Amino acid sequence: MKKKWPFVLVGILLLAGIVGSLLVLRRPDTNMVEIVQDGEVLYRLDLAQAEDQLIEVEYNGRVNTIEIKDHQIHMLAAQCPDNTCVHMGWLNSSAPIVCLPNRLVIQFAGEDALDAATG
Amino acid sequence: MRWMGYKLTAILLVLTLTGCGTQAENATLRAERSLFAMNTYMTLTAYGESGEEALQEAGALIEQLESRWSVTDENSEIYRANHSGGQTVTVSEDTAQLISFALEMAQKTGGALEPTIYPVLTAWGFTTGSKQVPPEEQIARLLQNVDYSRIQLDGTDLTVPSGMDLDLGAVGKGYAADLVTEVLKEHGVESGLISLGGNIQAIGSRPEGGDWRIGIRAPWEEGNLGVLEMSNAAVVTSGGYENYFEDEAGNIYWHILDPATGYPANSGLQSVTVIGEQGRLCDALSTSLFVMGAEKAEEYWRANGGFDMLLVTDGGEIILTEGIAGRFTLSDGRTETIRVLNR
Repeated sequence: MKKKWPFVLVGILLLAGIVGSLLVLRRPDTNMVEIVQDGEVLYRLDLAQAEDQLIEVEYNGRVNTIEIKDHQIHMLAAQCPDNTCVHMGWLNSSAPIVCLPNRLVIQFAGEDALDAATG
Repeated sequence: MRWMGYKLTAILLVLTLTGCGTQAENATLRAERSLFAMNTYMTLTAYGESGEEALQEAGALIEQLESRWSVTDENSEIYRANHSGGQTVTVSEDTAQLISFALEMAQKTGGALEPTIYPVLTAWGFTTGSKQVPPEEQIARLLQNVDYSRIQLDGTDLTVPSGMDLDLGAVGKGYAADLVTEVLKEHGVESGLISLGGNIQAIGSRPEGGDWRIGIRAPWEEGNLGVLEMSNAAVVTSGGYENYFEDEAGNIYWHILDPATGYPANSGLQSVTVIGEQGRLCDALSTSLFVMGAEKAEEYWRANGGFDMLLVTDGGEIILTEGIAGRFTLSDGRTETIRVLNR
């Protein structure tokens, strides 16, 4: 019976190692997004936790309305000539939603599975 | 048996304790910068010790290039040439090289790339924001002053005939990406990724090794069509969905015009992605191949080579050239068929 302790120790250490590694390497259970205006981070929120809401951001008298719904985010409306940002739909890949005239960017803050996006 | 046990313990301990060290170390020195310039949003990322200072210089360079190439900035070299009343103006070396490249590509693509289309684009409102369908007569009249072969460049002496406008929008970002890549490399950056409004330039590979994963947006939809895995390459996409408007009848008009007609290019393609070593070539070709359509794009590729392409047709077909066939993965749930072009 005495001889068994090294194996028990190995088992415990191994288990602790595996659990520890998983905790370190696992992708976090959050979905951080940033709303940035002209380089300044206005909001930083976790989509996984965020409640449904509307956020209004003003730039030189023009208003962008950002909607968070069912843990997703998009530009609901924009007082700009082209509305390209509204057309972009819900934020979903590493390509940020950008409103050029109002210098507004909605982007994921954390590491993404993709490095960049084109199109 | 006992010694086996100790050895096993030791080995397993070493394995479990060293498992996750390396990844974190490589990812530490990451410099990032974003800016609004050239009418788009740009993000620059560089890895390594010199990343921060390299990006400082790159940002300054982009601002300088914009101040030279802008069509709307009254102090830019291009604006001065466009408003000289047909007089010759002297431009900087970088600008002359870009114009020379744009004119060369215009000729090679048979005018599918047309650096003097700007007045027509303005009539459509794509440059001003108030988008509208211009009257036919207006388009016909403006087209009379669209012809790249009338632009004269002699060294750094540029002459834009009166009534014409030179616009480097279709090649400027690609050219800027090439110059930024040079700056980063001069600073010793071996790994980096720049996106000038979706004009991607990958420098080297990912810091931990392996290709960069670049998403290609699905036309008219949210999400990605697929992923392209590339190192040391430029990737540029043009698509009608990027900038468009709809009239009251529900017709869609987009910003990529066919220089032959002055109307939005309707060649049967939804998007064109061009992959190559040079950003300027990819930028010029993504626009002009979109105008040409799938058949002529294939002919151009066979005749010239030097790049790879991914075409998305109106019918939901993806056409890939052989060089990237093994590097593109369709996203889950996509139903497009893929056809590979081989030489």
